Amino acid sequence: MSGTARVAVSGIALLSAFVLLGLFGSGWKGKPHSGVQELRWWNMFAGPDGGRTLGLVKKFNAANPDVRVSMQRMDAGLYYNKLFVAGLARRGPEIFVVHADVLPRFARANLLEDLGVLRDRDGWASGDFDSQVVNAVTFDGRMRAIPWDIHPVGLYYNAELFRRAGVVDETGRPQPPTNREEFLEAIRKINQLGEKGFAFTWLRTNLYTIMRQFGGRLFSEDGRRCTLDDPHNIEALQFCVDLIHRDHLVAGPQGGDPFAGFRQGHIGMVMEGIWMIADFGRAGLDLGVAPAPLLGTVPAVWMNSHCLALRPGLSPETREAAWRFIRFLSDEGLDWAGAGQIPARISLRRTSVFEAMAAQSVFATQIGHGVYPPRIPISFEFTGEFDLAVERALRGELDPATALREATVRVNLALDRDRKANHGFGKTP
Amino acid sequence: MKANGMQSLYGWGMLSPFLALFSAFVVAPLGFGLGLGFFSWDMLGGTPAAWIGLGNYAEAAADPYFWKSLRVTMVFVLFTVPLMVGLATALAFLLDRAGRRQGIYRVALILPMMINLTVIGILWRWFLNQDFGLFNAWLGTVGIKVPWLGEPGWAMTAIVAMTLWWTVGGPSIILLAGLQQVPPQLHEAAAIDGAGPWRTFFYVTLPVLRPVLLFVVVTQVIASFQVFGQTLMVTRGGPALGTRVLVQYIYETAFTNYRMGYGAAMSWLLFLVIGAVAWAVFRLLRSE
Repeated sequence: MSGTARVAVSGIALLSAFVLLGLFGSGWKGKPHSGVQELRWWNMFAGPDGGRTLGLVKKFNAANPDVRVSMQRMDAGLYYNKLFVAGLARRGPEIFVVHADVLPRFARANLLEDLGVLRDRDGWASGDFDSQVVNAVTFDGRMRAIPWDIHPVGLYYNAELFRRAGVVDETGRPQPPTNREEFLEAIRKINQLGEKGFAFTWLRTNLYTIMRQFGGRLFSEDGRRCTLDDPHNIEALQFCVDLIHRDHLVAGPQGGDPFAGFRQGHIGMVMEGIWMIADFGRAGLDLGVAPAPLLGTVPAVWMNSHCLALRPGLSPETREAAWRFIRFLSDEGLDWAGAGQIPARISLRRTSVFEAMAAQSVFATQIGHGVYPPRIPISFEFTGEFDLAVERALRGELDPATALREATVRVNLALDRDRKANHGFGKTP
Repeated sequence: MKANGMQSLYGWGMLSPFLALFSAFVVAPLGFGLGLGFFSWDMLGGTPAAWIGLGNYAEAAADPYFWKSLRVTMVFVLFTVPLMVGLATALAFLLDRAGRRQGIYRVALILPMMINLTVIGILWRWFLNQDFGLFNAWLGTVGIKVPWLGEPGWAMTAIVAMTLWWTVGGPSIILLAGLQQVPPQLHEAAAIDGAGPWRTFFYVTLPVLRPVLLFVVVTQVIASFQVFGQTLMVTRGGPALGTRVLVQYIYETAFTNYRMGYGAAMSWLLFLVIGAVAWAVFRLLRSE
């Protein structure tokens, strides 16, 4: 055998070994026996949380020999494209994960099974969800998905910087701010160390939280008109602009990875989602978490949910198997909480296991005043305009009133166009 | 005649797999996209597509985001193409004179192209972080701090630099191959006639290299107009749409907002712009 042939054969053998190892590692068990119900589950948990979901799939498959679930994880940026296209072609997965704020689009495209019927039939988890969480997944009086978790934003702080800056209580323990005055005081003290007291991270969640805390609303009650230029929203945005340009307490948006500074221990506080627990935990920081401080007058924090949904039009057998899997995932909500989530089920949050999850249980105290993103069919167009308006204001390109007014006009145009294109179906589903 | 017929049939037979795939995956989608541009179609809406004639094209003409992203794309093309061609030509010359080590340098140039764009994007985003990034850490030693991703101008500079670093290997190797086709007798004759290195380059090498340069310039113009991954990974089109190129806007329109008709119409407008510019470049370089 020539040298080239030897290299080729060795390469093929090595590749085969990797493929086999990969298959064993993924829990793949070859073609199922006849009578085994095959289910596909798509989700966007492509990060470390994907390992936890894979563990759940294996556990379910082991306990349910008549069903075999295979999971496909996708990058969050492309996930909805693939899911929408597959759904429209009626080739989507039997079970899939959807964020609560994206559900209106799925509901309008008839891509969601009515799970309320199955839930009522089985009397399952009745009264085990908060009312605003149930509302987020209910369309035309039908429960279209099962909320799996709740992920609000909260305050992450660097306890070491707090101690060095003297932001501590009488016992010397770091004292995270609870209101505007304490928040500003903490920023000033940490800035005096030559570090940064606070940084805006994801503008969308940060500003939505602050606007709602200032009493602002982003849409009219019926969802037909955008009210982003509401005076309360302008006031909230002005407060943030002043932090940057008038008081010089906080840096403006810089693009790139806004978490890098916090990970490196140079930023005292960030207002970020619960999903960052694992990431920040790995940074070797003396990390503290607290509820988001009240910067306005109304307690509010942005939150969202991963929801479990079924494709409509499944055969009764497939639907029953898929429903069994959804119930299993919901019941295992505490396992999933370990990935940096809060179980949507109230009963699970009341267990000692959950209470022992220090960070998650702190974030969970905010659920009562958590607010979901607007419930509109043009959610992607709205967030594009919202993000641009707040960024331009924070960068000092436009004053807050002009930035929000311009965005409001464009969002209302999009709402009008959407209603026209969908024969009046643009109202809040 | 008969033999020619058989040969022709054989030729078409050999071509047919390509033609079938080309028709299925290029011609048919192009035709579908052209037709789609005349419809209003919300892919996730509750209603079928509706014929609106030139409505999508009229919307693009009045859409400030369309013009903004076209302008951003033009800026990228205007900076990237000359820098890319100039740098690739210089590198090709250096490689041509690298002697035994040419192989090592060639691999070094090609290496960035082998790295996945996602990986490059994430790495560069970290490198470019204003306060905690690698580049500013280096520049900080001489008292400079650049808002790489915080200002539109600097963000575009960063995207152009990243693109050059990532892709300059390809045109360099093509130009190197072109350089190696220049007959050495021409250089010898020029040297005998007393021509210096610059005159030799402009009057001997460049004319012979022109067809290769033409190919490189035209392909770079086309590729630069289609820039997407770099901006999506590093800046997401920001700050404040300062680096949102037209392909990204088309992508967001069609695959985020699901306005397929409008997305298709803008794609055709981009196609026309690319075609016009590529044709102009081709005519300009060919006629000189």
